[in-house]
Amino acid sequence: MTKTLSKNELESWLANILKERTLVAPRRVDDLTLFLPVHSTDEIAFDCSNTDLSPKDWFFPRTEALFTAEHKDDDIEITPAVIEQETVIFGIRPCDAKGIAILDGPYLGDPADSLWAQHRAKTTMIGLSCSTPAPQCFCTSMGGAPYDSSSVDILLTEVDDGYAVETVTEKGETLIQGVELKESDVSGSVPSCDAQVPAEGIAEAVKKAFDDPYWGRLADRCLHCNMCAYVCPTCYCFDIRDRTEGGKIERLRTWESCQSKGFTKIAGGHDPRADKGSRLRQRFCHKLLYFPEQFGPLGCVGCGRCVVSCPVNIDIREIISDIQELGAKVGEGSN
Amino acid sequence: MASDFTQQIRQKAIELLENGTVECVIGYETGSDGIGARPAFIYDAAEADRLVFDNTCTHNLVKYLLNKKGKSTAVVVKGCDSRALNLLLNEKQIERDKAFVIGVVCPGIVEWGWNKRSQRLQKRCDWCRQHTPVVSDFMVGDPVTEQPPAAFADIVEAEAKTAEERASFWQQHAERCIRCYACRQACPGCYCTDCFAESLDPEWVGIRIAPAESQMWNTIRAFHLAGRCISCNECERVCPVKLPLSLLNRKLEQKVLELFDYKAGMSEDAPAPLITFKKDEKLGIAE
Repeated sequence: MTKTLSKNELESWLANILKERTLVAPRRVDDLTLFLPVHSTDEIAFDCSNTDLSPKDWFFPRTEALFTAEHKDDDIEITPAVIEQETVIFGIRPCDAKGIAILDGPYLGDPADSLWAQHRAKTTMIGLSCSTPAPQCFCTSMGGAPYDSSSVDILLTEVDDGYAVETVTEKGETLIQGVELKESDVSGSVPSCDAQVPAEGIAEAVKKAFDDPYWGRLADRCLHCNMCAYVCPTCYCFDIRDRTEGGKIERLRTWESCQSKGFTKIAGGHDPRADKGSRLRQRFCHKLLYFPEQFGPLGCVGCGRCVVSCPVNIDIREIISDIQELGAKVGEGSN
Repeated sequence: MASDFTQQIRQKAIELLENGTVECVIGYETGSDGIGARPAFIYDAAEADRLVFDNTCTHNLVKYLLNKKGKSTAVVVKGCDSRALNLLLNEKQIERDKAFVIGVVCPGIVEWGWNKRSQRLQKRCDWCRQHTPVVSDFMVGDPVTEQPPAAFADIVEAEAKTAEERASFWQQHAERCIRCYACRQACPGCYCTDCFAESLDPEWVGIRIAPAESQMWNTIRAFHLAGRCISCNECERVCPVKLPLSLLNRKLEQKVLELFDYKAGMSEDAPAPLITFKKDEKLGIAE
């Protein structure tokens, strides 16, 4: 038996949620779909595909103060940032939720990042299975699935007369408490994501292809903007700087990317990744080699945002295929 | 069968690479979706058959010449792109004898994105009055007669708004800007080795990815391009959050034309008015 919720019941549940919490959901703004706070369920784009920007902004905001400091009675008072607002994200896709979950690796390791931990604790994710994966999607190749519930608190899957509901975590239980679910024998069609990206064994292949001129050639085309990193649900690098206003200092953390010039520039002016090829290689080495080595899963969830957004078609799926080929060649050569 | 333009570009590329005129030909190839074009760098004549030209060849490849300084390079340019060559020549960023220019009389570029292609021309192509490249060493296609300057209805509309309405319009857009700098990275006129936006001392623009800083960033960038923007509109095309950047660029373009009778990139030896000074020039705008 499947527990289900009609579309109307879902809307009234969400309407109740937004009375007490911030409800973040996909919203259409001009030609874009973005995860934004909604004030009424009418604003929610229920039928959208992947949003243009990932929902990571709600866990790792593009700009966030770590703490503020000000002079108080001949002393300096430091106030760490505290996240008080309870937030519910509705309509997060399994790939995006997994993107958030895998960042627990770097952010909740010892020592844990306090802000990340707070955002995670205060946010409940209502996931939505992908009934029609987009052409750029390749989640199944990266160990995910369009109906993967492992990283959300509740997963909804579209069925004929509403949504099948799977409550995954205690946080999900709490959120859905009091909502009457019907028992039904419907089952949602199990969606599939057909794109085949040969990610199996990619870490080894990347190692072998590390010194290949491939990266330099690829970097010929790359513009080295930060877009791929900023639309990506799993890119988590940041910059830190202090900002002063009216005698108060804020220590800010903002998104930053390994593609930007000077990202690794150190005091004295040396930059170990000064050339474009090694900067571009870093992006893929981090996702396909370093991240899995350090934390287990691949650092890419196959949402396809970078594939669609890149102005010069630097396509991670194509790169994975190329690297497998290069790695295989290096393997042959060494035998 | 490859189109005639594609054939001509491939043949020229083979010739230039084989006789050693250039070490690289920068052109277009078909991208990973099999639909749209992407920039291609051809170093070997045997790979020249990757080159294509069709109505998705949107990128302004002149930008890449900045990474090829001192190296003989051929580049495929459309009319608008060719003006960027003159801009960079005027500003002594590239050397004319190092660049072999394959000019293409532009058929107009359609609206397209990854895995989708429409038949509608891009907005900038409606405004375009430079289909024939202004500089070339080899021309593909027959030069066309250009139409008189376009009127920008969207600028008229924007200017009809009150100051408050305009401020709110830009504020709303600034909220979306993620400061990825794709606009800058795609722009042939943006080549500063240290961009003001990332300068730490002085810190012209704060580090925050927030509306105030984003407005500051986009406004200053537009001013830096006053009289220099060659209307390829790549900044607007690449923007992941679709900011209407060309509203600012075209407004400034109109203003520069009106004040200085100057259009950027039309000739190799006419630098932008705001970076030149003439002895008898009138100082001050209000006379």
